[in-house]
Order: sequence, then C-alpha cells, then structure tokens
Amino acid sequence: MVYDESLSFVYFGPTKIIFGSGSSTSELESEMSALGRSRAVVVTDPGIIKAGLAEKIIKTLGNKCIGVFSDVPQDTGIDVVNRGAAFARERGADIVISIGGGSVIDTAKCICILLTEGGSLANYEGIQLLTRPQTPHIVIPTTAGTGSEVTWIAVVYDKDKGQKILIVESYNAPRAAILDPQLTLKLPPLLTASTGMDAMTHAIEAMTSVQREPVADAMALQAIRLLSTYLPQCLKDGDNIKARGQVQLAATMAGWAFGNAMVGLVHAMAHSIGAVARVPHGVSCGILLPYCMDFNIGESEPEAIEIYAAIAQALGVSTRHDEPKVAAKAAVTEIFDLLKRIGHPLTLSGFGVKEADILKAADLSMADGAIVNNIRYVSGKDEVLEIYRKAL
Amino acid sequence: MATYNAFTQEWLDAWKQKIAESQEYKEIAKDWEGSVALICNADPSKNVPNPVYLFTDYWHGDVRDFLVCDEAKAQTGKFIMTGDYARWKQVAKKELDATKALMQGKLKLKGDLTYVVRNVKTINKVIDLLTEVNTVWPDDV
Repeated sequence: MVYDESLSFVYFGPTKIIFGSGSSTSELESEMSALGRSRAVVVTDPGIIKAGLAEKIIKTLGNKCIGVFSDVPQDTGIDVVNRGAAFARERGADIVISIGGGSVIDTAKCICILLTEGGSLANYEGIQLLTRPQTPHIVIPTTAGTGSEVTWIAVVYDKDKGQKILIVESYNAPRAAILDPQLTLKLPPLLTASTGMDAMTHAIEAMTSVQREPVADAMALQAIRLLSTYLPQCLKDGDNIKARGQVQLAATMAGWAFGNAMVGLVHAMAHSIGAVARVPHGVSCGILLPYCMDFNIGESEPEAIEIYAAIAQALGVSTRHDEPKVAAKAAVTEIFDLLKRIGHPLTLSGFGVKEADILKAADLSMADGAIVNNIRYVSGKDEVLEIYRKAL
Repeated sequence: MATYNAFTQEWLDAWKQKIAESQEYKEIAKDWEGSVALICNADPSKNVPNPVYLFTDYWHGDVRDFLVCDEAKAQTGKFIMTGDYARWKQVAKKELDATKALMQGKLKLKGDLTYVVRNVKTINKVIDLLTEVNTVWPDDV
C-alpha cells in the first residue's frame, strides 16, 4: 500500500500477549504477581462455567480468586456491569480476570473502570476521559474472533437510552491477554467458522478503512494469511491444537489492526442486521464480507483495488505480478470459496432474515458510525439495500 | 476584513455568523441536534493562562447560543471536547483532522462517539467555516 507524505497516525498496542497451550493455568499466577496483585475476581458467563472452561483456571488461582461473577449475558449492559463492580468491590478485588468472549471482556473492562473511578458508567461514555491507569485486567479469551483482548473499546447497552454506548479509553486496555488454544478446542463448528470470519473481517476492513495505516496493515496481512491457512484446518479437525492456536493469534492481530484503523461497511451492516433480526455478529460479517468487498472495488476504485490485490496475495490467490484488478477480484472469489470450505452460512435468509428486515437494517446502517470509515463512500441506503439483497 | 482574537465573544460571534449564513451547512447539519462544549486546557507558555470554555449549540441546521462561558456551563454540553491549546489550534487551522484527533486521543470527547463519527461532515463543515474567520491566536501575539 502506498502512503504519501501526509501520513500521520497513532498506533497503540500496549497489551502483553502470552501464548501457549496450557498457558491459562501455567502463566496466570505469575502474570498476576508481576502486576503486584493477589485478589482476583473472575468475570465469565454461564456457558463457560457449564462447559467447564473456567474450572481449572479458578482452581489454579486458589485463594487468589476471591469470587466468580458469571452473570454476563451475550449482550452486556450497564446493569450487568454495575452488579459485577459491586460484587468485585465488596470482595476487595485488586485485579479482574475475564474468561470468555467479547461480551465478558467488555463487561470486565467496564468493571475495571468502576472499581477505580466509581460513579456511573454513563459518565465515561466517550473517548479518553480517564486520566490514570485502571484496575488491571487480564483477558483469557475462549473464542478466536473478537480481538477484544487487545482493544481499548468497550460496548455496553444502556437501557435508559435504549442504545449501546461506546467507551474508548487507552488507560483501560487489558494489561495482558493469555491465549491458550486449549480453551478453543471445544468451540463448535459454527462458532469456529463465524468467529473466524469476524476476525477475517476485522483484518480486511482495517486495511480498507479511511483510518488505515502501515502498522495496522502489517498485523492485518499476517492475520489474513493465518486465517486463510488455519481456519479450514480447525473446521476439518477441531482438535488440531496448532491450527486453533494460529487462528487465535490471527484474531488477536486482527484486533490490533481494527482497534487502531477501525472497520467499515461490513460492520455497519452486520451491527444493523444483528439489531433488527438477531443474526449473530460473526455470521453476518462472514456473509456480507465478499459482497462489501465487491462493492468497494466498484467499477474501478483504484485505492480499493490496490489494497484488495495485496489481500489476494495474503490469501494465497495472487502474486505481485498479477494485474491488480484481476487480483482484487480474486480476493473476493476466494472469500466466497473460503466460506464454503469452512461450512459458513452463505445467506442471511438462512437465519430468517426477510425483505422487511433488510429495509430497516439499511436505514440503521447509514446511521452506524463504522460506515464513515469505509474506503468507498456510501451515498445512500439504496446502495446498502442492494448489498443486503445479494446476501439475502 | 475584520480580524478577531481567538476565544473572545466577538470571535465566536463571527464564527456563528459564518455558520448561520451557510446554506451548505444547513443542508449538511439538518439532522444534528445538540450542543458542543469546547474546552481548551490552560497553557501559560502560549498566552493561555487559564482554561477556556466555549459553548456552541446547534439544532437541525440552525445555530443557537455561541458563548464564552464558565466550566459549569461547559459541562452542560451534550458533547464536551477537551484538548490542549496546541491541538485546538491545529484543528482550527485544519492541520489536524478533528475526527482523527479524537480517534488518536489528541482530543477528549465526553458523549456519544458514534453520533459524532456519523455526523463528521457537520463537524468538518463547522471547522471549515472557522477557517474563514481571520483569527489572531494567543501565541501569535
């Protein structure tokens, strides 16, 4: 990608990464000690408890785990955070360990703020309002998709406002993320495929965002390479721990990429169809991704073509000698093929989405903040509707 | 053409007039609702001895109050943007894109980030119109 002399950006990636099979039990205590902490509240969800994923970790902590807050739903809210913070405060927690996916991680991020700052979470809606480091947070992700373990954004639902609020705080980036591929071995095929495609979408959209920059590109390109190679292997053999680990790393790298460069049209549309028709986020990202890529290439958008040509190389379907537009189109085709290879859903109608739903979602998409970062300007909801119809 | 000292009521009035007279602004900002408080941190080395509090209010393409105010009034803003003097000057002179400044942590925002991001055209137009006001900055003196 060519950047010109006007390039100016900030790349922020402070989270320490500890990777390895079994690391969630072998490394956690020493990471806590390194932070000078000894009173951990574990934040997780009922599904993780039921699957037995948190058991060994909590046992390893022994009396350093002073409580487990597992009351986190799929879409977290301010009320959940308040309960979690009260739970942690009553027990004198000095560190939060989250074990789970995006909702658990976001809940934990917000609990950390309330433990340090007190008050109401709604007071922290915005960007960079904090002036000091927050209660330390170690993330142990159990999915390989959201990348939330390395971002400093938390999204929670505010019932009073009837909408989600965004809290963006560099002081609240997790101190460490322990990536243990063993924790993703039990991820069922649909979740493996869809969270993997969420990660792929993060990487590709970071590269085509108007906020794109070279360091985020580097993370994104490697994430794309790893996902295209190892995600199919995870679906072929869910017990392939090497493949699981590489996909986990890819999701983290994609998290760094989009955490710095943002996302675009795919996420605007995925958020919207998720709100209207409850299509799971990763599923809608995967289904919409190739159609949005095709839209961005358009008749012949030169910047998009150059970037997708680079993505095609990372996907292994092009070389630098290929004509860029041909390569860009090959990237789109390859994403369609990848979806089929990993058994990912291919249509929104397969999740019950109807024409009436996409009419509402098209309106919502135009109001979603992510859309402004899209490489190709979206002039109106008719363009969004056309993409939804292709994906229906 | 008149010249105004930055952060004065006269300067704000001139800026407000530019916005009010702009048909393009009215069209771009037809959906914007709410006030934006701008807080400039003190920087004595740049002739800004005390924090500066500005309250600007917008409603569906119209401009309402534009006030040099106190901290209490500024804190009533629907959106509150805070930054160092150097950053504000860069934004006002379009040397630094306002949205990038927010996303890069060079300016702080209290309020709904998503609303601000999806109305970025409104913000950019307001800043464009500020560049049409001949301004003397504190450290230009």
